[in-house]
Amino acid sequence: MGKKIILIDLSRCIGCRACEVACEKFNGASKITVFELEDVLTMPLNCRHCEKAPCISICPTDALYTDEDGAVLLSPLKCIGCMMCAIVCPFGIPEFDELNKVMMKCDLCRDRRAMGLLPACVATCPTDALVYGDVNEVLPRKREYVAQKAIILSKEVGDVLLK
Amino acid sequence: MRSVSEVRLTPVICPFCGFGCKLYVRSIDGVPAGIEFYDKGGVNEGKLCPKGVAAVDFLRHPERLRKPLRRVGERGEGRFKEISWSEAIKEVATRLKEIKKVFGAESVGFLSSARCTNEENYLMQKLARLYGSGNIDHCARLCHSATVAGLIKCLGAGAQSSPFTDILKTRVILVWGYNPAETHPLLMRYVLKAKDLGAKLIVVDPRRTRTARFADIHLQIRPGTDIALANAMMNVIISNDLYDRDFIVRRTEGFEELKKLVMKYTPKYAEEVTGVTAALIDEAARTFASAGRGVIMWAMGLTQHTVGTYNVVALADLALLCGYVGREGCGVYPMRGQNNVQGACDMGALVEFLPGYRPAAAEEKRKEVAKLWGVDELPEPGLTVVEMVNEAGSGRIKAMYIMGENPVVSDPNTSHVIKALNNLEFLVVQDIFLTETAAYADIVLPAAAYAEKEGSLTSSERRVQWSFKAAEPPGEARPDWVILSSVARELGLKGFNYSSPEDILREINAVVPQYRGITPERLKSSPEGVFWPCPSEGHPGTMRLYEERFLTCNGKAKLVGVEHREPAEKPDREYPLILTTVRVVGQYHTLTMTGRSLSLVRRWPEPYVEVNPEDARRYGVSDGDEVYVVTRRGRYKCKVKVTSSIREGVVAIPWHWGANILTIDALDPTCKIPEYKVCACRIERVGGG
Repeated sequence: MGKKIILIDLSRCIGCRACEVACEKFNGASKITVFELEDVLTMPLNCRHCEKAPCISICPTDALYTDEDGAVLLSPLKCIGCMMCAIVCPFGIPEFDELNKVMMKCDLCRDRRAMGLLPACVATCPTDALVYGDVNEVLPRKREYVAQKAIILSKEVGDVLLK
Repeated sequence: MRSVSEVRLTPVICPFCGFGCKLYVRSIDGVPAGIEFYDKGGVNEGKLCPKGVAAVDFLRHPERLRKPLRRVGERGEGRFKEISWSEAIKEVATRLKEIKKVFGAESVGFLSSARCTNEENYLMQKLARLYGSGNIDHCARLCHSATVAGLIKCLGAGAQSSPFTDILKTRVILVWGYNPAETHPLLMRYVLKAKDLGAKLIVVDPRRTRTARFADIHLQIRPGTDIALANAMMNVIISNDLYDRDFIVRRTEGFEELKKLVMKYTPKYAEEVTGVTAALIDEAARTFASAGRGVIMWAMGLTQHTVGTYNVVALADLALLCGYVGREGCGVYPMRGQNNVQGACDMGALVEFLPGYRPAAAEEKRKEVAKLWGVDELPEPGLTVVEMVNEAGSGRIKAMYIMGENPVVSDPNTSHVIKALNNLEFLVVQDIFLTETAAYADIVLPAAAYAEKEGSLTSSERRVQWSFKAAEPPGEARPDWVILSSVARELGLKGFNYSSPEDILREINAVVPQYRGITPERLKSSPEGVFWPCPSEGHPGTMRLYEERFLTCNGKAKLVGVEHREPAEKPDREYPLILTTVRVVGQYHTLTMTGRSLSLVRRWPEPYVEVNPEDARRYGVSDGDEVYVVTRRGRYKCKVKVTSSIREGVVAIPWHWGANILTIDALDPTCKIPEYKVCACRIERVGGG
């Protein structure tokens, strides 16, 4: 099995924040955030589950590890709350759980994946701005989609020029 | 001893907008515990907006009404005493009987609810009419009554003409006074897919909304100038011979008159009126007309005007002119805001219509329905929502029975509404929470919410679907159909011995011709629902209207020219800005439901007023400042959000938190819709200066 990813398509995000609410409903607190560049665009951001994850490398207690889908997971029993993961994360993803004195982060909805369901943010996204799947399927599909749009556009331009 | 808990996933229809999304409610031993995404198709393909994801949050909220209440304090004070169901029903019936005896049945007003099932709406209007009152209405009056009046004039029926799947086959989408990215996020799924396939998106809105960000052409008009713009677009289309001549000849009448009228509306003239450049109007018109297949969608930005009906007529003309009706990839889409506003209209919870759009003013139609109900006659049409409130103020309406509506927050000119409710002899409110309106009631009846009962609902695209019961209601709350039947029986009305929603739907099958083939058995076993009209049980349902003929007398559509008219209240020196009202994606209407979800309130906590940077400078306010927005009717405190997405001279407030204290109750003379979308205002800094 290959690595699974959530691909974010910025050109489809309508900023409705359904992903945030869904994450909160299924995980207690939202691990995905929609940012808005005021009046221009909106952008959801969650853990990128890096291949060469700095958080895993730096963790002094081996609390961070990858599972069979390539998701970067955190074991709260091993975590000592030193926040090194948050310091090295280029996206500022890991958060501090005040109550349990450990770090917390997106686990790509481990429980839902175990039941064969999509991560909650992906399952709800009304416009498919979030897409989940095997990296070897999701990326070629995006390529195909971009090419398709380019073909439609060039036809339109051609039509105009030929007129 | 511990028993094993029963976990169930029950398919329900989302309780919010009119898109008709399906979801599962996950319940544990009859207690709602969460949602799961629907996996068997449906219009939303399992996807949900933030409100849908939070749809169970309010079900077990501590403030849910659990027992019937009798008011003990002053009206509006909110002091009540719990009473038994038998006491409550008896008191409602006794008072209604007394009032009928002394003042006549027409002194009682009934408000039905677009968030109740078809069965419940059918019962409410039956109860009102058999009681003898023609004052039966609901909030469609405040959203799409203009659409119903306008479309009936032109096409013969007031509903959405085509299914949402037609959007995927279209070449141009014209979105007018409507922001689906916030109000119907699931529709954007269809819009963006259509764009992927090459469709163009044209948006008409005074704000550069999140929808407008995706537009190929955005016409940022001055509020209240829609007709001038539509006429100018038709002018371009006719002058350049871009209209569908064959369609016009075969299927419409009135073209010459329309042509004569729109010829006055040159793009140059429209530029002066609307503030959109003539070149852009020209481009939009050409793009729209030359696409070959097109859809027009609109919502409150178009309908909530004193010229609402004519606005709709103008758009219907535009669609007809291009032949964009009754074909694949074409259609007119009045986008509905409540999960059953279409059904409530179909069931006749409107002053002017008996069930199945039989005109209530026609005596033979009243006789026809009276016969079906086993009585001799039914009352003539009475008063609409806003008129009922006005007449309550003047003393002609003595009592009101309000089911699942909150006019104190939703109607224009709030203080006027409160004065009117205070003036009533008797007010019954049937709801799931003690709403701002219920606080003025004499008797409050606790109702079951959407997932706590079953029944059918009709979405915007005329898709009738069954919503199943997922959980028990809290306390002693009962389904609305049970409450209405009890009240009707106690009033001594005949024909209210129903044992289930299925019973009522079977009666609807007999009374409403469009629903004849939509039986309970069929609905329950069909995950995709059935589209009305469906004249018999073997009929597959009708996804697209007008393919062969329009529903007018002679089967031809009517092109009706309409003139631009300025809104009721124009800005002046004292109130120099135009105020319009808007919505946010994470809150719904008067907050009765979404205001009780922590997940939603955390993200959409408070109102704000959008101000253009130029206006902000002019009036000395900056982002985050607290201000009063003041109109002739009231003042409203909120924070300033400075944004270039709104036109200069216009400010916008999401109305959920009570901004209707500001809006004007000027009505469209045809359909009585209030002009929520335009009034004059000014901004004052809190603390003066």
